[in-house]
Amino acid sequence: MRDWLYEPLTLGRFAGMALLIFGLLNVVLFLVTYAIYIQRKLLGWMQSRVGPNRVGPYGLLQTIADVLKLLTKESFIPSHVDRPLFLLAPIVAFAPAFVVFAVLPLTDRIAFSDIGVGLLFYIGVASLSTLGILMGGWASNNKWSLIGAMRAVAMMIAYEIPLVLAALGVVMQAGSLNLTAIVASQETVWNVVPQFIGFLVFLIAALAELNRTPFDLTEAESELIAGYHVEYSGFRFAFFMLAEYVYLFAMGALISLLYFGGWLPPHPALSFIPGGVWMALKTLLFAYFPFWLQATFPRVRVDQLMTFAWKGLMPLALVNIVLTAALKTAGVV
Amino acid sequence: MTLRTEEMILNVGPQHPSTHGVFRVILKLDGETIVEATPVIGYLHRGTEKLAEDLTYTQIIPYTDRMDYLSAMIGNYALVHAVETLMGLEIPERAEYLRVIAMELNRIASHLVWFGTYLLDIGALTPFLYAFREREKILTLLAELSGARMTYSYMRIGGVKWDVPDDGWLGRVERFVDDFERALEDFHALVTGNEIVQARLQGVGRYDQETAIAYGLTGVNLRSTGVAYDVRKAKPYSIYDRFEFEVPVRTEGDLWARYLLRMEEMEQSRRIVKQAVRQFPSGGEIMARMPKLIRPPAGEVYTSVESPRGELGVAIVSEGKPQPYRIHFRRPSFVNLQLLPKLLVGQNIANMVAILGSIDIVLGEVDA
Amino acid sequence: MVGTGLLKGLGVTFKEMWKPKVTTKYPDEPYELPNRFRGIQKLYVDKCIVCYQCAHICPTQCITIQEKPKADPKQKKKELEVFDINFEICILCDLCTEVCPTEAIVMTSNVELAEYRRDALHKDMRWLEANNTNIRELNLPWKATSSSS
Repeated sequence: MRDWLYEPLTLGRFAGMALLIFGLLNVVLFLVTYAIYIQRKLLGWMQSRVGPNRVGPYGLLQTIADVLKLLTKESFIPSHVDRPLFLLAPIVAFAPAFVVFAVLPLTDRIAFSDIGVGLLFYIGVASLSTLGILMGGWASNNKWSLIGAMRAVAMMIAYEIPLVLAALGVVMQAGSLNLTAIVASQETVWNVVPQFIGFLVFLIAALAELNRTPFDLTEAESELIAGYHVEYSGFRFAFFMLAEYVYLFAMGALISLLYFGGWLPPHPALSFIPGGVWMALKTLLFAYFPFWLQATFPRVRVDQLMTFAWKGLMPLALVNIVLTAALKTAGVV
Repeated sequence: MTLRTEEMILNVGPQHPSTHGVFRVILKLDGETIVEATPVIGYLHRGTEKLAEDLTYTQIIPYTDRMDYLSAMIGNYALVHAVETLMGLEIPERAEYLRVIAMELNRIASHLVWFGTYLLDIGALTPFLYAFREREKILTLLAELSGARMTYSYMRIGGVKWDVPDDGWLGRVERFVDDFERALEDFHALVTGNEIVQARLQGVGRYDQETAIAYGLTGVNLRSTGVAYDVRKAKPYSIYDRFEFEVPVRTEGDLWARYLLRMEEMEQSRRIVKQAVRQFPSGGEIMARMPKLIRPPAGEVYTSVESPRGELGVAIVSEGKPQPYRIHFRRPSFVNLQLLPKLLVGQNIANMVAILGSIDIVLGEVDA
Repeated sequence: MVGTGLLKGLGVTFKEMWKPKVTTKYPDEPYELPNRFRGIQKLYVDKCIVCYQCAHICPTQCITIQEKPKADPKQKKKELEVFDINFEICILCDLCTEVCPTEAIVMTSNVELAEYRRDALHKDMRWLEANNTNIRELNLPWKATSSSS
């Protein structure tokens, strides 16, 4: 499939590529739409509610209706905002969310691109979204969104580091930053076993990175009303929301690639089920997991969060690296 | 080089998800730390006390529903109790039992709203729905008894409006009370044991006993500092002396103490309801013999009852007319709220929301 | 150990997922209200003796009454010309039905009053008379209990 890129570009090929990109985008959007529906159902069931049930049979069209509503709303820009930044922010927040899918392999054969530093690319690009949040919060010229944006940046700095350090353990073990190679190195045993400390740190840091409960401080409805997107509505708001949800799936995919063997079945006897199914199952599991937490936990305070990141997760991640190095030198893993 | 920083004025409310109604606080912030807090009230002021001067005593009852709308039964009782004391009325036993059952159920319902919204304030969504699921059962029971879900107007001077519904209502109350024990266990498993909740609440919003007394705090806000003052025990009214219950007290004076006390109060109210249902008299009147037009003798009276928020007092000056000359409500929410500016200084925004929630105000009562 | 409380909480929400749901299907299915429920009033125009007690007891003064002599000149009694309840301010407190000596005004448990115009909330006596579903059976409980006991 990637041979295309090396052939001369003709109008036909260009049209084909555009169609393919459009198709893939729609597939991702469709998956996200229905994943959101299932998440809302699950959240409802955990709260002794039925969840979405008004639009379509069993509420199946609810998310589509929500998206349509957001997209058709009046494009409203408050007069006191910094216009260029305000318009740019949703795009800056949204684009990286889709770009990261480029390096996430879905099975050993299907991958949009297979670059050597896939993990680095993911982490680098994903942190760009914070810039969009900061831009949005700043440009809104609203005190609530400013506080939300500042919290987002502080959290990004505090949690990106343990996140990367935890992933470093995996990289050391696999000896590669390429995600396909990392999965291939888990043929015998999944990384979650030797890298258990790393996995816990990564999972917690990922929750903070995604701004999910208990680390949803940037939106913190009961404190900051809606945080950085107070002034956004209509499709600009939809972009922020969509970015958040797409990240949820990207992060779910990343966790399953790094720690749960991606498309590898749990036992060789189960290898008759295609790898893509395993990958999808694992991704969905980790994409839904935050909703279980959301149904259960309250929010931590901003100072507690910082203390936890710098004094708890950082040392743990460092210990994990040292341990991995020691085990690697001793030849255990 | 030093960075020049500015203080920021942040206007919280009157439309803010965590001010529990139309309450406004103007915060002066240094970063996220509060330097100064100025509460602004009055957005829901209806002039109940002034309006009451032109209303007969019976007509004031629906107004008491709308002050502390989460515990309207207790608001009703506070008024009728004051008038009955002024008139020296003897209330039939059956009516007293009905009043106690209704009031204590209402107290549980009120604390459930507090529990749910408080957890919502600190970021947990689900306890709110669980709490409202239980509260819904109470509201259904009270609607079957009084004909309304929140604004009951159930009490009348001299008794209560309705007798027990004759379709096994008491049995349903008892069943609810038994089931509620399990619901409370669930709440404790979901919330009380949660380390994040503990980290958020312990040691925050602390004040000492002297401050609490100086500011005239009552209810849980006072009991969290070690003063065992509950009007039901201190100045027993109605038939509370017939029931066994404890007044839970803690000494920490922080959010955690207030959280645990309210949870424990639900358990104590549950005990009272259970005993009241067991002792419920099989027959008797629900209304004392009353003149057609209620004219209390000239004089003054102050009585108080224990509302979920503290001491709810009613002072009446009567000139022997059908309308009061002057009526004053000592609204616990209003009194307790006065401590807020002092408590908020030095806290951050997340703590502000938690502290405001722990005072447990109802804006209908603050503004009256 | 740190974290057991968190896990216990996760257990509670997980168990809840499998329990039956408690929400009702309103408005697809009607919400059952008890017979005592205080909803919109029903008026029996011919039972009314125009004594104005309901208008006087009303704490919000939402009842407007006008009288006229009876059509039959031999009877000296009055009858209703106008009986309006303004549901913008009526608080459904039940005091009007309580003072009515002839039970001409009673409560129903109908509560759905949403209208698109505020004028539509001023209900006249024809509307109130036609409001005859879910009428409350017992309206003066003291009378009933004292007569039975």
